[in-house]
Amino acid sequence: MTTELLSLVQAVADTTGAYGRFPGIGARAAVWIAAQVHLMFAAFVLGVPMFAVITELIGIVGKDPKYDKLSKEFTRLLVFAYSATALWGAVLVFFLTTLYPRFWSHMARIFGLSMWIYVGLFFVESFTLYLYYYGWDRWKAGRAKWVHWGLGLLLNGWGTAVMFIANGWLTYMMSPPSGVTAETLPESVGTWNAIANATWMPINIHRLIANAVFGGSIVAAYGAYRFLAAKTDEERAHYDWMGYVGNFIAISTFIVLPFAGYWLGREIYEYNQQMGITMMGGFMSWLWIVQAVLIGVLFLAANYYLWLGMGRIPGAERFVPYTKWMLLLLVVCWIIWATPHTMIASREELAAMGGSHHPFLNVLGVMSAKNTAVNLMILTTFLSFLMYRRANKRPTVAWARSGTIVQGVMFALSAAVVLLYGVYGYFVEAIVRIGFSVYQVAAVLTCILGVTVIDVALGRGAESRGAIRWGQMPERSQYALFVLAVTFTWLMGLMGFARSGIRQHWHVWEVLRDTSVDAATPALGFAANIISVCVLIFLGLVAFIFWLGGLAERATAGAPAGRH
Amino acid sequence: MWRTNLKVLLLAVAVVGFYTMVAHVIPQLESEVPESLTLGGDVTPEALVAAGERVYNGAGGCTACHGLGTRAPNMLTDHAGEGTIGARCGAREAGKDCKAYLWESLTQPGAFVVAGFENIMPDMRRQLPEDQVWAVIAFLQSQGGEVTVTGADLASATPASSATAPAPAVSATTDPRQLLQENACLGCHAIDGAGPPIGPSFDGVGQRLTADGIRRSILEPDAEVAKGFEQFAGTMPKTFGQQLSGQQLEAIVQFLAARK
Repeated sequence: MTTELLSLVQAVADTTGAYGRFPGIGARAAVWIAAQVHLMFAAFVLGVPMFAVITELIGIVGKDPKYDKLSKEFTRLLVFAYSATALWGAVLVFFLTTLYPRFWSHMARIFGLSMWIYVGLFFVESFTLYLYYYGWDRWKAGRAKWVHWGLGLLLNGWGTAVMFIANGWLTYMMSPPSGVTAETLPESVGTWNAIANATWMPINIHRLIANAVFGGSIVAAYGAYRFLAAKTDEERAHYDWMGYVGNFIAISTFIVLPFAGYWLGREIYEYNQQMGITMMGGFMSWLWIVQAVLIGVLFLAANYYLWLGMGRIPGAERFVPYTKWMLLLLVVCWIIWATPHTMIASREELAAMGGSHHPFLNVLGVMSAKNTAVNLMILTTFLSFLMYRRANKRPTVAWARSGTIVQGVMFALSAAVVLLYGVYGYFVEAIVRIGFSVYQVAAVLTCILGVTVIDVALGRGAESRGAIRWGQMPERSQYALFVLAVTFTWLMGLMGFARSGIRQHWHVWEVLRDTSVDAATPALGFAANIISVCVLIFLGLVAFIFWLGGLAERATAGAPAGRH
Repeated sequence: MWRTNLKVLLLAVAVVGFYTMVAHVIPQLESEVPESLTLGGDVTPEALVAAGERVYNGAGGCTACHGLGTRAPNMLTDHAGEGTIGARCGAREAGKDCKAYLWESLTQPGAFVVAGFENIMPDMRRQLPEDQVWAVIAFLQSQGGEVTVTGADLASATPASSATAPAPAVSATTDPRQLLQENACLGCHAIDGAGPPIGPSFDGVGQRLTADGIRRSILEPDAEVAKGFEQFAGTMPKTFGQQLSGQQLEAIVQFLAARK
C-alpha cells in the first residue's frame, strides 16, 4: 500500500507543472500550428536560395540578364519570408516553454549548446541575405558579381547548417541513441551523440530535396499569379517563363524525393521495427492512401501543365496524339497506388469478401503493384518533360535517328524491368520482395540519366522549328500551378504528421512519455483539420508577401533616377 | 483583378477542402495511450483478462503484427494446427509452462522465435508497465487455455516463480550445440547447411572471424554488422552477456571458431 501511494505521489509530482493550458484549441494544437507554419516558411526560405544561386550562375555564365532578374525577384520574396520564419519560430519557442516546460527542459539540457549555435547562425544567415539582396545592383559586374554570387552560396551554407541542427533535435525525439532510457540523465547523453542519431542524415537529405521542391512550387505559383495579373505581353511572357522554371525545378527534384523517402523509411525500420510497422502497417497505414491521392494529383497537374505548355511551342503538335494514352496510364497507376490493402469490415462484409482481404484489393493494394505504378508514373512524367524539351528542335547530328531509337529502347527496357519485378514480387517472400524496389528504382533512374545525356547531345546544333511563344498560355495552365503549390504545402503538413505521429504517446521515443491530456495521437480526420488550418494560414501570409513584393517593385520602378 | 484573386482563393480552398474530405472518409484510427490499471492483489482472473484484452487491442499495439498473422503468428486463431495461443503456449519450449513462455515472449522476444517469422518484436516492458504485460498474458492464456496469472504476479516487480524470471541462464550445460539450441541462436543462424538466413550462417564462421571477433559479435551484436545482413541490424538480443556464464560463452566461441 505504501509503495502504491509513493508511486501515485511520484506520478503526480512528475506531471504537475509539466504542461500548460492553451485556451480554445488546447496546447497540442497550438504548438502543432506554430511548428507547422514555421516549418513551411523555413522550407521556403531554405529552398528558394538554392535556385536563386543556380539561376544567377546561369545568368553570369550565359550572360543572360533574364536569369539575373529572375534570381533577384526570388530573393526579394526571401527578405519578407525570413521575417515570417523568425516570427513563427519565436511563437513556437514561447509555446513550447510555456505549454510543454518539462519537455523543453529535457531538450534544453541536452541541446543547450546547439541552440546557442543555432541562434548565432540565424543572425549570420539573415545578414548574409541582406548583403546578398541589397548588394545586387552594386556588385553587378566583373569580379564583384562573382563575389556577390559567393554570398548566395554562403547563404545556402548557413541555411543548411541551421536546418541540420534543428533536424538533430527533432530526430532525437524519434530515434534517441540506443542506451538512452527514461532513467538516463539528459546531461549525460552528449549533444553530438544525440544529434547524430539513426534518422538524422536521412531526414537532412530528405528535407534538402523537399525544400527545393517546395520552394520551386511556391515560386511557380508566384509566377502564375503575376501572369494572371500582367498588363503587358512582355510581363506575361516573363512570368510565364518564371512559372515554367519554378515548376521545372519543383517536379524534377520531386522525382528523386521518393528515393530519399525509401532511405528514411528503411532507417526507421532498422532503428525500431515496431515504429516502422506503426508507420506503414499500424494505425497510420491509411495515411499512405491519402498521400497517394495527393501525389496522384501532383503528377496529373504537372503533366497537364506541360501538355498545355506544348501549345505555345511550334512543332509540339506531333506529340499531342500520345498525351491521351499517357493520361490513361497515369490515371490507372494512380488508382492502383491509392488502393488500400485491408479494409475495416463488419462480420457480414468479411464473409462476403471471403476473408479479411478483398480478393481485388489483395492483388492491387500491395507494394509490388504500388511500386510498379509509381515508377511508371515517374517514367510517364519524364516522357512529358522530354516531349516538351524536344518539341521545337530538329536534331542535325548524323546519329539523330539511332539516338532517338536508343532513347526509346531505354524507356521500353526500364518499363519492362519495372513490370517484371512488379509481377515477380508476387511469387517471393516479403524480404526478397522489398529488395525488388531497389531494382525498379535503379532502372528508372538509369533511364532518366541515360536518356537525358543522349538528349543533351542530340540537341547540340539542332535546328529550331520556331521560338517558344512565352506568354501564350491559357489561363487554366496557371491554375494548375496553384494546385501544385497548394498540394505540395498540404503534403508537407501530412508528412510532418506522419513523422511526428509515429512517436505516438512519447515526446522522446521510449525516453520521455507524454502524460498530457493530448497524449493520444489523433486520427487522420483531426490531423487533416489542423493541416488545412496551417496551409490556409501559410498561403494567406504568402499571398500577403507576394503583394508586398509587388508594392516594393512598383516603388522601385517609380523612384526618381539618381544614386541608389 | 479582384475576380482573379477570388478565383485563386476559391481554388485553394477547394483543393484544401478536397484533401480534408478524403482524410475524413477513410477509417479514423487513433493511437491510444496505455491506460493505468488499478488492479490490486485481489484482482479476479476475469478482470485481468478484460484489462489484457483492452491493452492487446489498443495501446499495446499487438494487433499491428499479430492481427493478420503474416508478420507474426495470429494469437487468436489456430497456428500450424497447434490451436490458439492459450492452447499452444505450454508446449512451445521444453521446461516452460504457458505463463513462463508468454512472459519470456513479451519481455525477451528474441529468446525464442517461432519458425517462419523474424525476430522483430520489442521488449514490451519499454512500452507498457509490468502489470499491463501480466494482463496481456492473462488475456492470451484465456484464448483456449487456463488463466494462471494472479494478483501476486502483478504485485511483484519480477515474476512469481523462478521459471518466469527474466533473462535466466538457460541451463548449466557447456555443450555448445545445446547452448545454441537453448539460446534460440538457430532461430536466425543456419548450421550444417540448414536454418533461416536471418543472421550469417555458422558454417565457415571460423574462416570469417577470429575467436575475439565471434565473442564480440555475441556480446555486442551491433558493433559490426555482417555484409548482406544490414537490414537485420539491431534484431539480435544484446543480453547474452548476462544470459551465459563465462564458461558457456567460451564454449560457444571456441566451437564456432573451429567451424572453418
